[in-house]
Amino acid sequence: MSKRKEQSHRVKVVLQRLREKMNRQMAGSLVACVHCGMCTDSCHYVLANPDDPTYAPAYKADKIRKLFKRHLDWTGRVFPWWVKAEGIYSDEDLEELKDTVFGKCTNCRRCSLNCPMGVDMATFNRMARGLLVSVGIMPEGVAVVSKDQWEIGNQMGVLKEDYLETLEWMSEELRDELGDPQFTIPVDRTDCEIVYAINPREVKYDPRTIADAAKIFYLTGENWTMPSDCWDMTNFGLFSGDDELGGAVARRLYEKVIELRGKKLVMSECGHGYRSTRCEAPNWAQFDVPFEMESSVITMLRYISEGRIRVDKTRNTEPVTFHDSCNNARSCGMFEEPRELLKLVVTDFREMYPNRAENFCCTGGGGAMSMSEYTPRRLKSARIKAEQLRATGAKIVATSCHNCVDGLTDLIRHYELDMEVTQLVNLVANAVIVEKKVAVPAAGPPKPAPLAGKTILVADDEPDQVAWLSTLFADHGAKVVEACDGDQALELARTHKPDLLTLDLAMPGKSAGEVFELIRREPQLADLKVCVISGRPELRKTIYDRSVKPPEGYLDKPVTEERVLRSVRKVLELAHDDGK
Amino acid sequence: MSDLLHFAEHRLQEMALAFMFLVYTVRIIWLLRFRAARERQAPTGAPDTSVSSAVLHSWANIAMPWAMESTRKKFFLYLQFVVFHLGVAAAIILSFIIPYGPGLLEHRWVVRLIQGITAAACVVGVMRLARRVANPHMRAISSPDDYFSLGLLVVWLFFAVLAAPNDTSREGPLLAFFLLTAFFLVYVPFSKISHYLYYPFTRYYLGKTLGHRGVYPVRRRPRAV
Repeated sequence: MSKRKEQSHRVKVVLQRLREKMNRQMAGSLVACVHCGMCTDSCHYVLANPDDPTYAPAYKADKIRKLFKRHLDWTGRVFPWWVKAEGIYSDEDLEELKDTVFGKCTNCRRCSLNCPMGVDMATFNRMARGLLVSVGIMPEGVAVVSKDQWEIGNQMGVLKEDYLETLEWMSEELRDELGDPQFTIPVDRTDCEIVYAINPREVKYDPRTIADAAKIFYLTGENWTMPSDCWDMTNFGLFSGDDELGGAVARRLYEKVIELRGKKLVMSECGHGYRSTRCEAPNWAQFDVPFEMESSVITMLRYISEGRIRVDKTRNTEPVTFHDSCNNARSCGMFEEPRELLKLVVTDFREMYPNRAENFCCTGGGGAMSMSEYTPRRLKSARIKAEQLRATGAKIVATSCHNCVDGLTDLIRHYELDMEVTQLVNLVANAVIVEKKVAVPAAGPPKPAPLAGKTILVADDEPDQVAWLSTLFADHGAKVVEACDGDQALELARTHKPDLLTLDLAMPGKSAGEVFELIRREPQLADLKVCVISGRPELRKTIYDRSVKPPEGYLDKPVTEERVLRSVRKVLELAHDDGK
Repeated sequence: MSDLLHFAEHRLQEMALAFMFLVYTVRIIWLLRFRAARERQAPTGAPDTSVSSAVLHSWANIAMPWAMESTRKKFFLYLQFVVFHLGVAAAIILSFIIPYGPGLLEHRWVVRLIQGITAAACVVGVMRLARRVANPHMRAISSPDDYFSLGLLVVWLFFAVLAAPNDTSREGPLLAFFLLTAFFLVYVPFSKISHYLYYPFTRYYLGKTLGHRGVYPVRRRPRAV
């Protein structure tokens, strides 16, 4: 007589939660698959790995389906082997499931739309992620980000003071640009028409998008505000499948808008944030949202069509294509608005094929950018997207999603495409016509170079990059020291005591992570500011997972002169604020 | 007509049908016992999208090969699907015509029509079976039930072709057809062949969800020719 297999504690919890989470829609999807294989070629993983059937959507779905059939569907209990119903018993089984649901699917929903039976594979793949997360089985990056969102309130662990400082910094930039010394980004104003919520990535890596949005609100004369806390409109619960996290995160934002008596919540360009906050989270949080919610794309389009801002499309003459974020398009129906907006602000718009609901994922969706263990798979599958991009002949790919920005930037670099990624807000802000106030320049001594008196250590193993950064900093008045590997960077930091270190993450010698931690732990260098400039986003964790103060700045390569200078100025201004 | 054939055409079919309906009733009750998720979000998408039109679109999806990339790109497979399911429908109709309306089969064209459709479906069934065996992706996702159901349908369609003339002087094909029909009626509720029962459910919920989110009916902009 065969001995009955024992289930591990985690497996028991997973199966219990499977019973609790199951609803009619998912049960229908789980019983209805006829294994016709029509979904197979709709998945970018399959197209990039044609010889590996384990990437087929139906195959991946069967990993979840077999559990459902074995444990919840009585036909599977009666004839398990006949219908491929299989139980799970050990934590290793759960790890194997993790590899499929996190590592082989971005939940892009393209297969769901190509299934003749209407099986919504993305929905139950997300559910399976949630089951695993509930017992602590998930990629490390997912755990880190989820923890930050639970504990700090945003998924990148941005502290309130850093957020407010960034808003102030952007206000300063705009005061110059708009010629209005009174300008400030409003925070916590009550009874506004619009409460504007953003993605923490904007604070950390791309503050210009905040400034661009603020500039547009200012020029329209909009009555708007940003919250001082609960400002994160992203929601890692969508990726982790954790409805509790998803509901809690969204509820914070909803309650903040109610507290501020805002009439409408406008969300910056973030596909998963928009989908979560606008569409899914009212269900996760069981919260009937009493105000309107809108993507900033729709807001900007309305401003232009109502004549509240004027734009000059000839300021954006490079050929531009548009990448539909899966969450915005396939899950929220936002197809035409971004295109209408682009056609108003660029001279050469080129459609990508396929597009709209049939577009391919950027390959960074579903939280893939935070799961560095799957990076090689992700980049291999990105070939499909790269071919799609290359065929447009565009120089710029615009998108309305921060995940897509990261995913596309990574694949553009990997496949050496001559393109850069931008968001619609950047293009609109560039095209918007600013009626500048005429200011009479006051006579006085010439302004000193902005980096005068500062010493900057540039650590990078690419000679071109070192030369470019060194010239840029020297041209702006800084004294520059150069290092080409980790050991040299550490040595020069000790010798020269620079104000700032720009640190590449992939260098020979001592790893960037080690160098960073040693600098942080060395009392004499404890005040040295660090700005990471890296083309390897998957290596972020080698810095951010260390139990030392995080770097003051972070930039993704490729990066423009303007962004480098802005970030460096910000980091050094922080030094000034600290009293140095 | 022998007693056995009469039994197979009437009493056996009635019992098998009753059994199928009983199991299906249990199955539908089982499915309905799962809670239906409540939708709290305000609708998104273009103003001309609505849940009702999306559900209709979703149900009609199978008759619109242009609506999905998968059916557009694999149009030959879609045609196979159409032929196969028409053949199955014809064979089911035949299983009712023979016992309850045999007069219809006195028209030669009716017999030829049914034979033509079921024969084509039988050939398609063989092709589908070959694809399932030969294609590594199909093999990887196939269960014993997938092979068995398809194989059995091929055999059943083959006997439908032979049974269509309703020639009681040669009872073999008729007997085989009705015994297989009865077997199917009992087996179907436990097999993938039940997908027609789930189709309205899955497509209703997908249509409802995606309609509320403005995704259905699917919008796309093909490359200009």
